[in-house]
Amino acid sequence: MELIEEILRAGGELVEEIEVYVSEASSISAELKRTLIENAGGDRGFGIGIRVVDRGRIGVSSTGSPKDWRACLNAAVASARLAHPQEWGGLPAPAALPAAPPIFDPSIRLDPDWTRSALEEMLRGAAGHDAEVTGGSASLSRSKMTIANSSGVFYDQERTSAGCSLECINEQSTGFEFDVSPFIGIDPCRTGERAAFFAEHGVEGEKIETGDYDLVLSPVALSQLLGHVLEPALSGRNVHAGRSWLAGKIGEECIGENLSISDDPSRCGLSSTRFDAEGVPARRITFFENGVLQGYAYDLRTAYRYGQESTGSAVRSGPGGAPAIGLHTLIIEGPRDAVDDEPAVYVHDIVGAHTANSLTGDFSVELSNPSWVEDGAFTVPVRSAMLAGNVFELLGAVAALGKEERLVGGAVLPAVRLNKQHIIGT
Amino acid sequence: MNNVRYYDIRHVRGSSTHIDIDNGVVESAGTSFFDHAVVRVLGEKGWGILTLENLDPDGPTDALIREALDLARITEDPVDLADADRRVLPVPAVGEDPRDVSLEEKTHLLAGIEQAAGCAGIVNTRARYAETNEQVRFVDSSGVEFSYEIPRCGFSVVAVAARGGEMQMGRESLHTIRGLNLRHREEMGTKAADTAVALLDARAAKGGKMRAVLDPELAGVFAHEAIGHASEGDLVREGNSVLAGKTGELIGSPTLTIVDDPSLPEFGFEPVDAEGVSVGRTELIRNGRVNAYMHSRQTLAAVGNGRAGHARASAGDPPLVRMSNTFIENGDAAYDEIVAECRNGILLKGSRGGQVDPGRGVFQFNAEYGYIVEDGALGAMVRDVSLSGEILGTLHAIALVGDDRTMHQGYCGKGGQSVPVSDGSPHILLEDAMVGGNGTD
Repeated sequence: MELIEEILRAGGELVEEIEVYVSEASSISAELKRTLIENAGGDRGFGIGIRVVDRGRIGVSSTGSPKDWRACLNAAVASARLAHPQEWGGLPAPAALPAAPPIFDPSIRLDPDWTRSALEEMLRGAAGHDAEVTGGSASLSRSKMTIANSSGVFYDQERTSAGCSLECINEQSTGFEFDVSPFIGIDPCRTGERAAFFAEHGVEGEKIETGDYDLVLSPVALSQLLGHVLEPALSGRNVHAGRSWLAGKIGEECIGENLSISDDPSRCGLSSTRFDAEGVPARRITFFENGVLQGYAYDLRTAYRYGQESTGSAVRSGPGGAPAIGLHTLIIEGPRDAVDDEPAVYVHDIVGAHTANSLTGDFSVELSNPSWVEDGAFTVPVRSAMLAGNVFELLGAVAALGKEERLVGGAVLPAVRLNKQHIIGT
Repeated sequence: MNNVRYYDIRHVRGSSTHIDIDNGVVESAGTSFFDHAVVRVLGEKGWGILTLENLDPDGPTDALIREALDLARITEDPVDLADADRRVLPVPAVGEDPRDVSLEEKTHLLAGIEQAAGCAGIVNTRARYAETNEQVRFVDSSGVEFSYEIPRCGFSVVAVAARGGEMQMGRESLHTIRGLNLRHREEMGTKAADTAVALLDARAAKGGKMRAVLDPELAGVFAHEAIGHASEGDLVREGNSVLAGKTGELIGSPTLTIVDDPSLPEFGFEPVDAEGVSVGRTELIRNGRVNAYMHSRQTLAAVGNGRAGHARASAGDPPLVRMSNTFIENGDAAYDEIVAECRNGILLKGSRGGQVDPGRGVFQFNAEYGYIVEDGALGAMVRDVSLSGEILGTLHAIALVGDDRTMHQGYCGKGGQSVPVSDGSPHILLEDAMVGGNGTD
């Protein structure tokens, strides 16, 4: 792209190093209000992120206007003047990249009729249960990102996604389900069926007494707790800054001895990638192997500062889309088994996961659609309950991982069965 | 374009500035720029909504309106818009305009607050500043046109204390529309550090049903989660609120009035709503009864009971019915009386946020810390304590409403959008609160 070349040239005259990141995205969507399509949307997004480095001082800026790139470059240079200098070993040079992960479906076209039929399919799926539809959505997107720097990196990557979700209610019992994938083959009918099922199933919930119970967390409930507590604890920056519970514990058994947790950006996932947000080749990182902590996630900045190596873990989550440490595709491995054969309380989702203490891992949340399960089937619904515990201790109480996995946010997760977790009944 | 029943264009340009100081090191400080537009067209049935970057404010808009109309082709829901008053309020004056203060000086001031958190026992301090200047221009097909500019800024400071493998954190934050607020705030750094150190000696709260005193910040979150969301006209219209059809019903103590008011000069202030409707006060609960809902023009037409002017949008997103400044009105109980009346229970302070399922009528929110109340006096400090409850029923549990309301700022998420809000309340006393915690005897 000529624009990128021009920015690299101009930046090269002002600072030692420059990096340019360009994202282009387009999407369409449609929303149901009750059972009718109320709105349909189209979105064209564009963004440029510029990062400059001069004598160890790092500056960032971003803009949505290609014509304003000079102001953006100047702001990045001004930003670098303010930052404290740090150890810096240079932006990455071109390197061999891993094979492209399955994240792009060339058959995805932004066709409004697809969103309409996905919504109709969900309604069809929901019709089999006694529940009212309150809302739903379907969307398709295509995006392309390009990263280039003054060391010669010039990579681009395309991705697609298809998604749908439905919300249902029966009296005061609500049900929500979604499906999302880089590929067109999501299942709107089953998504609608599950949303309506949970609304129907929860109507005659029974009380549960306060006590310790075996629990099955759905992949969605698990992802909420891991995302708010485990992800920040694995960030090398938080570790070295003294705000991670995992700091200083490499080589120690921190979670269940049968569990391994990794970032595997080669998997089919919504954030899987060949290279990270600063052009470092993406690779698999094992954080825990058989319960033992192996290492943390690093971007270039944190790696240079603390004498570590970048793990290719930069994502665009910093201010103005600047690089920061994150995970691409979180996976969990361990003994697979049927998680719902023996009686347990199944938790479909949780309310308030973001209120967990990200430092210590302590949380207490309200459960969504809790229900007793046995022999692989939902039995008696639970009316209302809170779950209190600690995310790290919870990962030490995993009895088994479910056999199936699903894409949730950037993660690919199974359901998990947990021994003896503290439920507060109402 | 005969099929266009209505259109509006909301164009938001501006800049955002951030500063991040971590353990005394300026990690990052700088300014970014944005330029988003949303074109909404009401076709024969529903909305076509086009969002794009870099709209030319002086250029022709016909092609964009046609494109949005084409999107509306697949809609089925016959949307109508209620008439509403169209007016814009002046943006409240700022004390010291953050746009006039250099990034260097802001960085220096923030560093002072961050340093103040570096007390004995503290292993990490971090302070962040965020400033957003939005220039908003709104036009619609009836010839209404508004433009205004509003600066929002604020900071947070976090201190982490550690001792013998245990870690706890304290956090303070302050956000405003009234100008730069970084001067003479070092005591907030010290307060974050004091909280973090004190929490090392706090025990985990033991869950169960008990009397609970909520401080003004947490009681404000309670009003927001327990009543605010369920009073949003879109949720009421979709059948996704337990407050639907409850107008006039007594659901709480007659001393209780809960209000949302975007015209107040607090952090959730809007001079005009996101569809060009004048803003004003809506009493969601009046003297314990369900009184009115918050509405957009569309939900007012569909549901009635309430006023439009509650549509809000983050830059580049379509309007949704949202809260702004939400609060419980003062009652007449003094703080000492509330704690004494609690007798045995818990006092909960500060907020780590909350969430609600408005259709099910169940909410959850989390305090930063609390104190056991024994024989009407404050006892030991507790940590990681949350509260959950059911909307219908919980308001009846409010036994006393204090006389000391204050407002606290934050951001509220809905439909993937985040907007600035404030919540507030006096101290309140709840009977039979469901308190969550993983402590044991």
